Amino acid sequence: MVTTTKDLEAHFEFECRACENGRCAKANVDAILSEREGLRDFYEAFKEHIASCKRMTYGQYMFAIDREVLPDAVLWWHNHPKYKETHMSTAVGTDERPLNGHFVYMPFISVQVEPLNMDKNYWVFLRAYLPGDDPSFPSVAKNLPAALWIEREVKDLLGFKPTNHPDPKRLILPEDFPDGVYPLRKDMDYRHSPITEPTTEYRKTPEDTTLVPMGPAHMGIEEPAHFRLFVRGEEIVDVDYRGFYSHRGIEKTGEGRLTYNQVLFLAERICGICGYQHSVSYAMAVERLADVEIPDRARYIRTLMLELERIHNHLLWVGIAAHMVGYDTGFMHAWRIREPVMWLVERLTGNRKQYGMNIVGGVRRDLLDYRKEDVLKTVKQIREGTQTFLDIALNTNTFIKRAEGVGILPYKVAKAYSVLGPTARASGRKIDARLDQATRTATAYDEVDFKVPVYKEGDVLARVLVRMDELFESLWIVEQLIDQMPDGDIMVPIGKLPEYEEALGFTEAHRGEVVHYVMTGEKNKVYRWKVRAPTYNNLPAVPEMLKGYHVADAPLIIASIDPCYSCTERVQFVDMNTGKIKVLTEAEFNELSIKYRGVF
Amino acid sequence: METAVKLGFSLAGIIIMLLLPPYLEGIARRVKARLQYRRGPPLSQTWYDLKKLFSMPSVKPTKRALFTWAPYLALASAISAALLLPYGSVVPVDFGFNLVVFFYVVVLVSVFLMLAGLAVQNAFSHLGSAREMQIILTVEPLIAILYGVLAYNSGSLNLYTILTGLHLTPSLVLTYMLLAYALYVESGFVPFDIAEAEQEVIGGPLSEYSGRLLGVFYYAIYIKRFALLWFFISLLTLPWIGPIETSGKAALVLALQFILTVAFYPIIAALEATNARLRIDHVVKMNTRAFFAGLIILAMAFMGW
Repeated sequence: MVTTTKDLEAHFEFECRACENGRCAKANVDAILSEREGLRDFYEAFKEHIASCKRMTYGQYMFAIDREVLPDAVLWWHNHPKYKETHMSTAVGTDERPLNGHFVYMPFISVQVEPLNMDKNYWVFLRAYLPGDDPSFPSVAKNLPAALWIEREVKDLLGFKPTNHPDPKRLILPEDFPDGVYPLRKDMDYRHSPITEPTTEYRKTPEDTTLVPMGPAHMGIEEPAHFRLFVRGEEIVDVDYRGFYSHRGIEKTGEGRLTYNQVLFLAERICGICGYQHSVSYAMAVERLADVEIPDRARYIRTLMLELERIHNHLLWVGIAAHMVGYDTGFMHAWRIREPVMWLVERLTGNRKQYGMNIVGGVRRDLLDYRKEDVLKTVKQIREGTQTFLDIALNTNTFIKRAEGVGILPYKVAKAYSVLGPTARASGRKIDARLDQATRTATAYDEVDFKVPVYKEGDVLARVLVRMDELFESLWIVEQLIDQMPDGDIMVPIGKLPEYEEALGFTEAHRGEVVHYVMTGEKNKVYRWKVRAPTYNNLPAVPEMLKGYHVADAPLIIASIDPCYSCTERVQFVDMNTGKIKVLTEAEFNELSIKYRGVF
Repeated sequence: METAVKLGFSLAGIIIMLLLPPYLEGIARRVKARLQYRRGPPLSQTWYDLKKLFSMPSVKPTKRALFTWAPYLALASAISAALLLPYGSVVPVDFGFNLVVFFYVVVLVSVFLMLAGLAVQNAFSHLGSAREMQIILTVEPLIAILYGVLAYNSGSLNLYTILTGLHLTPSLVLTYMLLAYALYVESGFVPFDIAEAEQEVIGGPLSEYSGRLLGVFYYAIYIKRFALLWFFISLLTLPWIGPIETSGKAALVLALQFILTVAFYPIIAALEATNARLRIDHVVKMNTRAFFAGLIILAMAFMGW
């Protein structure tokens, strides 16, 4: 039996916990607004349109705002003259019709009052209710490229209508997916046969240019992605991007019958190499919702794992970058140096990757004291190995010649696209989610000392240098963590989750900030789970980096943001035998999870 | 020398020229592997690869005959180039202006590679061919000038006469240095493997080739590289060891050529392993500079320096 909207309505009744009559009455508005710098200014500027406000959890504020002023409000924050590094991180679309008859479109803003000061910065959620029969909202993408993809995403998956969107093509669903079928709506019916004749829709090749199709499968791109380079001679004039070939329906799966604990194991499988970042982000969101404080030892072990992950991923990346320009010796040595980290992680967690280590409320395995020696030994080995490697690689003339002055991303463009992580820091953005926002509920970054390297050049070489500097900082963090490791428990039980509450979890992955938004449902389930991997923000800026450079530079430039397509493209199942695509409904997910009970 | 001895040396030359190139590639792979802290494949791995490719049919994306013929024509050109070189004191195919012919047949290998890339509808093939063309257009004038210096220095256009008639001048030393660069570029080793760059243009002109035809192309490229190296080694050895009267001395010279060729390959491999690929505009710039340096050397040679 399919659960329909009607059934759901019978069970749920929506109430805004902090608000009454559309105003924050129970919660003290003045108290909330005076908690952080900038909140009151925003409230004063948009007073007429703000229906309610509330503090969702520490350092996360939500304003329910009229959809008409959404672009103005987003731009107010993003282009704030005082808070330079404030950016629109992403947004989430939710089908709340079973609860209150409305859709919700909600951009997240990471407000940076003072860069790298987690006590002053905060998140702002701009919640706009869209009527169930007319889910349209004014698009901000024309003035803010950072919103380009997310607005196309909610259009594809939830059927929202961003009006005046500059590029309303399909983003996630294939072009031949029928109109009017929206996978993330709660009443999505799986019996709908969505497959039609396969078609594609690409931008027209501009005049006097030739098309060089990099992808869907190409040597220089490890995962399926399609960069259509329009070239004149060898020079790239323009680029069209089509991705989302590895869309897996993870969000929908998580919103089905899986409990909050099972979703965590799905979350860490979003990515093959930054899985632990995703699981910590998710766990952090749920812990915030449950309002528990996890033990210090668990926070330290998590931070240790996160930093070990960063170390091996940066080494992996620098190897790939060398390979892209035919410098295979650099590739081999970077990966040789990286390998001991994987062995170490296997000793510590039982897996070469940190899979299965994390759990909501703590970690699953303790760090045995005699293993601390192993960690320190490996750190020493990595530091020496990387130093030698860098001495050689950065003195290889041909390698420098290929990386210097190539793929320049100016600060302004990086800001407009909300570019994150090392890519942003190489362009002069001073951001790092480890310190920018309050992470102390899940990790221990506030108790260790480290620097955040920032370069101004914005080219590929700067991205190499930023990552290598970060790697040495990470080694230093690991040494501090081992030194300061507190005793105690490694996990705390969560108990029952509050219903229909929202929170955000985030970590700084080696590519940029990972964001997990969780809205709880009934019975410890997840009503809406939204994942935003850093590549989702970095990839739209790649066409800007490619323009004006050579076809020969394209693989290196694309690789320089360390793209991870499978992270970015998370919702859909393809039947290999028939080629039929079907999107599972909640009922089907329930069946699946019963069938595979005990497997998860 | 007697005809039988000549025939023997020619035969030895042909055997070396056909069998050695894949082994040289094998040496290069081993050296690279060692520099990367790997074990590396066995020395005959390149032969195994070729054997496998030869045994497989090719997928042909076009009906054009050029696509099928290009690899064989390239192989024929490469073999002819190798036949024009001296093995010991014997040049298997010896006639008047064979330096000019040598120059042309070596270029022909690249030309056929380029044409093969243009015979198919593939953006990457076309890009690779365009790159190959840019390399030929910039490096060949340089090589022509350097050959000119050699010919002027020895007063002949016959390869063997040149090799035995060179006399040491400053311009000749400079020519050798520049020639080493030019021949390295023409061989298409990293950092000059721009036309066949895998990560950028998925093999360039070779991207549509498979099976037997691909194997033939690889074989042709290996033989071309061997011919260019053997030519350079001959330039290093033959002029300075005096006249070769006996077949015993000729055999010694052949052994010396052989050993030096094998010894030079690890150096090339080490250069390949420690460099990233350059971009085509870098190479064009470098070649243009080298060309003007070549002109100065030519002027020096004319002045008798």
